Amino acid sequence: MNEFPKILSANWGKPNSAGIETYLASGGYEAARKALGMEPAKVSQEVLDAGLRGRGGAGFPAGRKWTFMPKDNRPRYLCVNADEGEPGTFKDRDIMRFDPHMLIEGIIIACWAMQANNSYIYIRGEFEEPAKILEKAIQEANQKGFLGGKIFGKDFNLQVWVHRGAGAYICGEETSLIESLEGKRGNPRIRPPFPPQKGVFDQPTTVNNVETIASVPFIIREGIPAYRKFGTEKSPGTKLFSVSGHINKPGVYELPLGYPLMNFINEVAGGMIAGIKLKAVIPGGSSTPVLRAEECQNVNLDYESLAAAGSMLGSGAVTVIGEGTCMVKLLEILTHFYAHESCGQCTPCREGAPWAAQIAKRIHEGKAELNDIDVLSSLGANMMGRTICPLADAAACPIIDFPKKFREEFEAHIRNKGCPQAKPFPVEFK
Amino acid sequence: MTIEFKESAKKELDRMLSRYPSRQAALLPALFLAQREFGWISDEVISYLSQLMELPKARIYGVATFYTMFNKKPVGKYFIQVCRNIACAMMGGDGLLDYLSQKLGIKEGETTPDNKFTLVKVECLGACGEAPMMQINDQYYGNLTKVKVDQILAGLK
Amino acid sequence: MTEPGKVRLSIDGKEIETSAKATVLDAAKQAGIHIPTLCADDQLAPYAGCRLCIVEIEKMRGLPPSCATNVAEGMVVRTNTPELHRVRKMLMEMLLSDHPYDCLACAKNLHCELQKMAEEFGIRERKLRHLTRESVLDESNAFYSRDMTKCVLCAKCVRACKEINGVTAIDLSGRGFNSIVQPFGDGPISESVCESCGECVERCPTAALSIKKQVWPDKEVSTICPYCGTGCGILLGIKDGKIVGVRGDKNNPVSRGQLCVKGRFGAFEFIGHPARLKKPLLKKNGEFVEASWPEALDYMAEKLKPYIGADRFAALSSAKCTNEENYLMQKFARAVMKTNNIDHCARLCHASTVAGLADSFGSGAMTNSIDEFRDAELILVTGSNTTENHPIIGYRIREALRKGAKLIVFDPRETWLANQAWLWCRQKPGTDVAWINGLIRIILKEGLENKKFISERTEGFEDLKKTVDKYTPEYVSKISGVPEEQLFQAARAYATAGKSSILYSMGITQHSHGTDNVQSLANLAMVCGQIGRAATGVNPLRGQNNVQGACDLGALPDVFPGYQKVADEALRKKFEDAWGVPLSSHPGLTIVEMLNAAADGKIKALYIMGENPLLSDPDLHHVEQGLKALDFLVVQDIFLTETAQLADLVLPSACFAEKEGTFTNTERRVQLLNKALDPPGEAKPDWEIICELADRLGYPMSYPDPAEIMEEARKLTPQYHGISHSRLKGGCDLCWPCPNQDHPGARILHQDRFTRGKGKFTAIEHLGPAELPDKQYPFTLITGRILYHFHTGTMTRKSAGLNQIVPGPYAELNPVDAKKMKVKNGDQLRVASRRGEIKVAARVTEVVNIGELFIPFHFYEGAANVLTNPALDPVAKIPEFKVCAVKVEKAAGEK
Repeated sequence: MNEFPKILSANWGKPNSAGIETYLASGGYEAARKALGMEPAKVSQEVLDAGLRGRGGAGFPAGRKWTFMPKDNRPRYLCVNADEGEPGTFKDRDIMRFDPHMLIEGIIIACWAMQANNSYIYIRGEFEEPAKILEKAIQEANQKGFLGGKIFGKDFNLQVWVHRGAGAYICGEETSLIESLEGKRGNPRIRPPFPPQKGVFDQPTTVNNVETIASVPFIIREGIPAYRKFGTEKSPGTKLFSVSGHINKPGVYELPLGYPLMNFINEVAGGMIAGIKLKAVIPGGSSTPVLRAEECQNVNLDYESLAAAGSMLGSGAVTVIGEGTCMVKLLEILTHFYAHESCGQCTPCREGAPWAAQIAKRIHEGKAELNDIDVLSSLGANMMGRTICPLADAAACPIIDFPKKFREEFEAHIRNKGCPQAKPFPVEFK
Repeated sequence: MTIEFKESAKKELDRMLSRYPSRQAALLPALFLAQREFGWISDEVISYLSQLMELPKARIYGVATFYTMFNKKPVGKYFIQVCRNIACAMMGGDGLLDYLSQKLGIKEGETTPDNKFTLVKVECLGACGEAPMMQINDQYYGNLTKVKVDQILAGLK
Repeated sequence: MTEPGKVRLSIDGKEIETSAKATVLDAAKQAGIHIPTLCADDQLAPYAGCRLCIVEIEKMRGLPPSCATNVAEGMVVRTNTPELHRVRKMLMEMLLSDHPYDCLACAKNLHCELQKMAEEFGIRERKLRHLTRESVLDESNAFYSRDMTKCVLCAKCVRACKEINGVTAIDLSGRGFNSIVQPFGDGPISESVCESCGECVERCPTAALSIKKQVWPDKEVSTICPYCGTGCGILLGIKDGKIVGVRGDKNNPVSRGQLCVKGRFGAFEFIGHPARLKKPLLKKNGEFVEASWPEALDYMAEKLKPYIGADRFAALSSAKCTNEENYLMQKFARAVMKTNNIDHCARLCHASTVAGLADSFGSGAMTNSIDEFRDAELILVTGSNTTENHPIIGYRIREALRKGAKLIVFDPRETWLANQAWLWCRQKPGTDVAWINGLIRIILKEGLENKKFISERTEGFEDLKKTVDKYTPEYVSKISGVPEEQLFQAARAYATAGKSSILYSMGITQHSHGTDNVQSLANLAMVCGQIGRAATGVNPLRGQNNVQGACDLGALPDVFPGYQKVADEALRKKFEDAWGVPLSSHPGLTIVEMLNAAADGKIKALYIMGENPLLSDPDLHHVEQGLKALDFLVVQDIFLTETAQLADLVLPSACFAEKEGTFTNTERRVQLLNKALDPPGEAKPDWEIICELADRLGYPMSYPDPAEIMEEARKLTPQYHGISHSRLKGGCDLCWPCPNQDHPGARILHQDRFTRGKGKFTAIEHLGPAELPDKQYPFTLITGRILYHFHTGTMTRKSAGLNQIVPGPYAELNPVDAKKMKVKNGDQLRVASRRGEIKVAARVTEVVNIGELFIPFHFYEGAANVLTNPALDPVAKIPEFKVCAVKVEKAAGEK
């Protein structure tokens, strides 16, 4: 790991970092105790004032989201979104594996703030190991009286359950997650009503990402200034970045927001694999716009800087693409993924994604015409903003951007009647 | 009805049911349980769950086929899933699949005649930092090389 | 100013005022503005999947789907801009890219929504290369085919199956582009729980689901379904003078376009069936020979003349005929034949309702309307297999359940509703008075009764209170077999819900103590004040399309039209004045009494219109004896029924599709029939035949049309005073009582006062069935109807599809009994009672309890009524179809 401030990953290196004793030794559950001594509304306000934004990808202010919960007598739910599945993203898995109690403490605080008595951690089905670690941590927290009835002597009950998904990327979308949690096919819901009005089991519900919730204990324990000390004015605090691709040290890193992208690649993540030059970066997960190498130069890893560069911070999943990578092949893989993950409800996504995948494949195999590049772009344009949920937007992003930013490469495929490269990727399985 | 959960599985399902205010919410846990107990989600399993969960068969089938983790046909003792998404592909994922295919003597989507191995390729498993990677049953294996794969396969009896 | 609950918006520059709950799509439709869509349906929740209905709305981002966007005050909507056209066209190109190129050979060619839409967007060629979807062609259903290569995944079918029918026989499986609509596990649809209601097929925009042998009609005629008492609106499709199909009539207020399998697929084949009677048939030397109408009617008049005034003539009217025809038939019996020996099959289904509710409330009909079930907080269903026998009312119950209503079912059989119920109590057959008294006792002991209602609106409470006192939970549980705890749950829930509705049918009425059962339910409702308000009441579901009307119009032996007693001098005088002849003051004989009297030689001539007692009445051997002992039997029907075969004269009549008139459904709603076709051959409407016969017997009856008959009838029938054909044609939607021509009719009875003044409590003791199982006959036989056939099968068994689904008679037998007798599904059983024996196939199922047997009575070749007990209810004279003792054995060596 690196020399940067550690909020989320502070305990990761410690022996038995997932155990409750390790967590308690580092001041664990003090924030929850403190929060339960505060007015619930004050807790939301602190989180809002700390500037914590949703870490799942959308970047919506977390404290504000909590205030959308109605104050009626209905039971309220917090769903923690641990359905990490966007290609390139693997940060939440590490929070759950290495410090599950930080997440649980965050859940206690968030539930107190929203006066929710039930929380489900919706974890992607393939994460069997993190799920088991979480189950154990919940058990420990229950035994210590941090969960269950009369938490910290307050008249407040909280039950936390782990709910496993079963293999569907779309369930990372909050209303699909809710449907799936209810035991249904994970189709998104039409909004309105929004989850705070009618969420899981028709009750008021908030869905937050794992990392968002795990950031909360620090804010409550150390206060707003301590949190705002890191990051930028508009993007305060730290964030986990998962870096993969043609890089020497792939993995998860905690950095203050606003850190320069190129420094991250070249220094923190150990630089490019020997002999491979940087070609492009997908900076925030597969559904954020790709940046060509030259576009990466003065970009910082925060919401604003990446937006200014025409992309997004997203989930903080930095996919580093080296020279020698065929962008057409990459697009084929990505569109195949989105076609595979589309629930099938909306026409543009259900039909558009397989279409794009087929065209990308045809281009790569040299069976396409020049006109197909335009068909691809127009397909993308007709998927963007045309569906119930953002999956089609995510799918449309590379469909639009790849041919735009690497037009020459696409045309070369058509001229060459196939991929001009001998192999689509510079690294081989050895 | 020829299949039925063992008492222990029934108790586990009851525990699951107690977690949710609606019976249907326990359907994914019930399907996981059924897959563990019966190996795969056959039509017979769906009929059984339909009674148990008080849900129409068509709905259970719809749910079971929506999620990729429920096997609608039998799989081998070791279910090998190789990631095909971008991070793994860029790091030689195709080569990994080819290597496994060659070692096991089966094509993607097939099961060895002794029902020991099933080989499939899957979408991103959320471990891109360890590319190329694969999952065998519930276990992840990352940063794979030919040597590592040989060792792993040798360890599977 | 905008009215409350309304908003104003502008669509394409047109100012529209509409309900605040409307969607933009609704509002556009209302304003006559076309927005293309494939997945929107008025009766289903928005899906927003096809995306064709996108619009532009000022101050809203993107292109919102109009089907899922609510209107708002001041909204400015555009539905047809170049941008929208471009996007929609692209969507259409996507949809067409995976659609087969076989329009010319497709069942839906020229009737396909996708094809029409392609035309609308001027698509002439495909831009996208063809993608193919995996094909699953399923021809297993009797009525429709399923071809998923043509599916556009609008999900209307699966939503209809879930949201309308509540069955979920099909759902989407797989996901994304590979989604398909399936029952489960690639199996054929015929092996699923599909009830073949066709709501899915009706909605499918393409030929993914299509009717087999589809013939597209040239025109459609709206009329009323001829089966159960629900009164659904159907559109008869006509081509080349033949009925080629049926669709639901969306404008019908009862069914709103929804239909069950019988209505949609089984209501037309019989109409044009070659076996229809086309000429009068006279029996000469034991053989039928064709006769002309004058010959037949002269002969009939001559044969009947001797019996005028002698009470040796009897007539059976018909719950399948119109109100006007029933009026004429009873008038014929009373004014021409001078006898009150007139009855019809209401005797066999709801005579105890008519007698019981009339005594308790003053009116023997449903106290509330069908739609109100949707708003009930609790529905207590007893003795009604509603989802099979009144399927569209079943849909309304399913709607209530989805809205969170509690359902309590008391039924010996595990019906679909029992299976879905919050509480299912399995009482022993024939113990209804006991459990109802038990419920009342618990309610009183716990102080849950409605004291104000009891004191202000009812009389006789003290006697009831005294009588129910001995019905302790323990005592009731012993009699009925219902656990004490369940009795408490049911009593508390029924009494404390804001709106509790009781719904019952023949499981309550067809007992030798049917009237007691009915009045006990009336007691229960009144004790809790669960009557006289919306979504409450005591609601008998009538079995035949016009059994309510046949009763209302006086086809009963003791009352004139409007339930006016023949024994009441003043009332009789009214009819004598109107009809110009003296009338008999003695109440006549009921059906079973008529047949007994025939066997005893006391009735010599019988005129049967549209009934088939040789299959529908209890103890068929005895019925046959009676019919054979007659001097003269006339049967007027559309087919040569089992009964008609014994007749001396058979008169061919027109069926519902071939005549005009009105039917009154179970909720007292009077609905107009429209003639779609001419009757086959020389067949005539029943009313014309009666008129011509009356003329010959010296009592001229002359009416130009049924409307005129109703003019006469309504003036004599207080409940129908304000109901005329002209009002109905004008679109009035009328439930009786409707006392004058300006009255809107009444959905809810007994609101401020009961029809009889105060509601009357009746103290009733449990007596039990007339015949109980014993050593010799150890099983209890329950008879009834099923979803796929109707009554004596005269009409439904002419449908190839219905016959494919249920080809013949069977008996439901509990697996425990089956195991004991070593009987497997499909084995032949010999079932015998003290009255006869039949052979039927075994259907091993837990739907019936151990020691009980259920046999549907539709099948002549295994006629359940050979076995049933003609023991009669002392008041209503309804026979005990629901309980008799039988023995069962495996028919040796037969399969």
